[in-house]
Amino acid sequence: MTAPDRLRLASLGLHPDRVRTLLVEWGNARAVLRAVERGQIEVSQAIRDRLDHDPADAARRAGADIVYREDLPDALAGLPDAPDLLYVRGVLSDRPGVAIVGSRRATSYGLRLARSFGRAVAGAGWPVISGLARGIDGAAHIGCLDGGGVGLAVLGCGVDVAYPREHRDLAARLLDGGGGVVSEYAPGARPEPWRFPPRNRIISGLASVVVVVEATVKGGALITAARALEQGRYVLAVPGDVDRETSRGCNLLIRDGAHPVLDVDDLLTSLTFALGLPPNRPPSANGDDPILRLLRGGGITLEALAVALGCSAPETIRRVSLLEAAGSVRKEGGVVSAR
Amino acid sequence: MCVAVVPYGVGMFASIASTALVGVDTRPVQVEVHAGQSRRASFSIVGLPDTAVREARERVLSALASSRFHVPAGRITVNLSPADLPKAGSAYDLPIALGTLVATGQVKPEATRVVALGELALNGDVRSVRGGLGAALVARGMARPCILAPDAAGEARRVPDSDVRGAANLVEAVGVALGRSPGTAVEPKPAPLVDRIPDLADVRGQLVARRALEVAAAGGHHLLMSGPPGAGKTMLAATLPSLLPPLTEEEALEVSLVWGAAGLARAGSLTPPFRSPHHTATVAAMVGGGSGMPGPGEVSTAHRGVLFLDELGEVPGRLLDALRQPIEDGHVTIARRGHTVRFPSAFQLVAATNPCPCGFENDRLVGCRCTETAKERYRSRFSGPFLDRFDMRVRVERLDLEAMTGPPGETSIEVKRRVLAARARQEERGTLNRLLQRRHLDEQTYTAGATRLLASAVDRFQLTARGWDRVRRVARTVSDLAGCDEVDESAVAEALGYRKSL
Repeated sequence: MTAPDRLRLASLGLHPDRVRTLLVEWGNARAVLRAVERGQIEVSQAIRDRLDHDPADAARRAGADIVYREDLPDALAGLPDAPDLLYVRGVLSDRPGVAIVGSRRATSYGLRLARSFGRAVAGAGWPVISGLARGIDGAAHIGCLDGGGVGLAVLGCGVDVAYPREHRDLAARLLDGGGGVVSEYAPGARPEPWRFPPRNRIISGLASVVVVVEATVKGGALITAARALEQGRYVLAVPGDVDRETSRGCNLLIRDGAHPVLDVDDLLTSLTFALGLPPNRPPSANGDDPILRLLRGGGITLEALAVALGCSAPETIRRVSLLEAAGSVRKEGGVVSAR
Repeated sequence: MCVAVVPYGVGMFASIASTALVGVDTRPVQVEVHAGQSRRASFSIVGLPDTAVREARERVLSALASSRFHVPAGRITVNLSPADLPKAGSAYDLPIALGTLVATGQVKPEATRVVALGELALNGDVRSVRGGLGAALVARGMARPCILAPDAAGEARRVPDSDVRGAANLVEAVGVALGRSPGTAVEPKPAPLVDRIPDLADVRGQLVARRALEVAAAGGHHLLMSGPPGAGKTMLAATLPSLLPPLTEEEALEVSLVWGAAGLARAGSLTPPFRSPHHTATVAAMVGGGSGMPGPGEVSTAHRGVLFLDELGEVPGRLLDALRQPIEDGHVTIARRGHTVRFPSAFQLVAATNPCPCGFENDRLVGCRCTETAKERYRSRFSGPFLDRFDMRVRVERLDLEAMTGPPGETSIEVKRRVLAARARQEERGTLNRLLQRRHLDEQTYTAGATRLLASAVDRFQLTARGWDRVRRVARTVSDLAGCDEVDESAVAEALGYRKSL
């Protein structure tokens, strides 16, 4: 066995909390491993089998670098429950980042906001951190890519495991965009439910600000928010209808003192308080086109746009298409909005 | 030399022409009747008859008796030829009766020089059956008179240069067949040349949807409308026939033949048909088929007109799959043991759907309560290849009070004038824009601006090759509406606007 003991211990697949307790109990990774080998620590057969694997080789095959605790960004490394190491594909940025998290079962309201937040944060030059899950996480990552930003995905499975499957391309695009995909679980680790709550402490740990876009009362997003508060991070939440299941968690956070996010500009203002001036200057809005001026109040249907402009339908459709092709507006579900 | 004179001869034979519907085609059928001597009376029908044809025996014998003819006492054999053509229904009663009368010597052989088609009532009355129009066409080809029930005769007279005569009962039919009686034809109710259909002027507001309808009508493009419940999608779709060019006499006859095969009457209306089958329709009802001789389905009764599918999200996948061939090929082929029938199905497809399960996604007033997962599931119901058939997609909004009480828009006639001009340009080129293939699209002239915009659209909107063709097809139509030979930037820009609505 050439791999260092700490890597071997991490690759066994024990619950992160158990690893931490064992390290306290036995002193160091080597002692823990020896105890496992001798049967002084009771583990399942599957874990015992992994004692013989070469973890360094598995990491190489997954294309992952290993970053030990002492090399992790200080914000994360300083936490009492920081992981002993992370598997990293791509780049693990140590600039302060913004986590955008929320429910997997999101509504279009949440998805739209998550995406535009991701875009705005990326545009301002801050890394966007999320969990690559379906719903809000994915939308935030996509928004980040829209804005040409650096994205970081923290997984609840091995960095080489495509989960959720439909986000396999998204992960690849994050890497292409100079971002990273990280996990404390060894390559090949399946996305088992117990892996996700510990994962959330890493998301909030890597971020300076956590924005919760949509969350149910029992969802993982609230766990992330709770960990963020323990870790002393800023928590922002997006208010929503009080009778909508997917907004209850956020509204609860706001009642308990989280700062509400009112719109993209408000988010950027709040972030500036927390993180200082954005690295990038915001692009100046093009105010010449009357359509863009109308869109400042939010999305509007083609029909309403034609009426407001006093233009014929073909003329309106043409102008919107040209703006769309130029990338200044987008049309989704019949609603035109500024990008 | 001695000829035995017996009431109905020894081995006397008669053959009368009739017709069979195969799909919408009408094929000649010979009804051969042989009267032989036998101590026991018998009457048998051979030649692939179905139950209704076999029962002709009871109707014919009763009708003969009611009409005071002799009921044959010997052995009567009826053969329907060609035997491999399946014959269905009661349409052969009349030719069988005429043939029997000739074969038994009760009527002169001259009476066989006709084409006859009709059901006999037990009292000898002639009733109309499907396929009268086709019988008239066949009779014209054989240069013979065609005998039908009076109302069927009235309709079949639309076939030019035909000699169609109506007969109210068997006795009159004999007179007509012998040329002694002119027959009685009942003129069908004069068909309104244009049906009463909703006019675009009845639609308030909806600037964008109206324009989309105009473009769709001009190029014959399949159109998908999405919007919240109550936005008026059905109403908009129903106005489409009022924007389309009227059928020519020839096309109207073709449509009537299909409708006739489906057992529907359609007089001589020149308005393109509008069919809106419910989403619970069976595959057979939609594309044709059914037991026995296959009949045309909704896609064929919509031939040369509009097929409207409401609630596309509720239409089962197998129905959508079944629709793909008729949409693609313009006809339906149904294979059965021993024969294949083909129904035309060149229709324009208009479909409507709610944008999401609750219907209120992106609505101005009502909030949508669907999760993205639920919406994803809803959209995945209509398959990608099916959605690909729609050149145009448009979003229909619910009206606000202002638009509802506002002035009516243009009438259908005004819009139709522009549609006709655009269609004329397409006719010069030789192809309806909906049918333009990539090769044709490549041949069109595009201005530099149009080419540039198309290229940037491929990048920006991630257009697929098919999507790119769709945009170019619609852009061609927009240019035709504007009276331009070249496709310019503004036409492409408008076409891009009809790219997506879901």
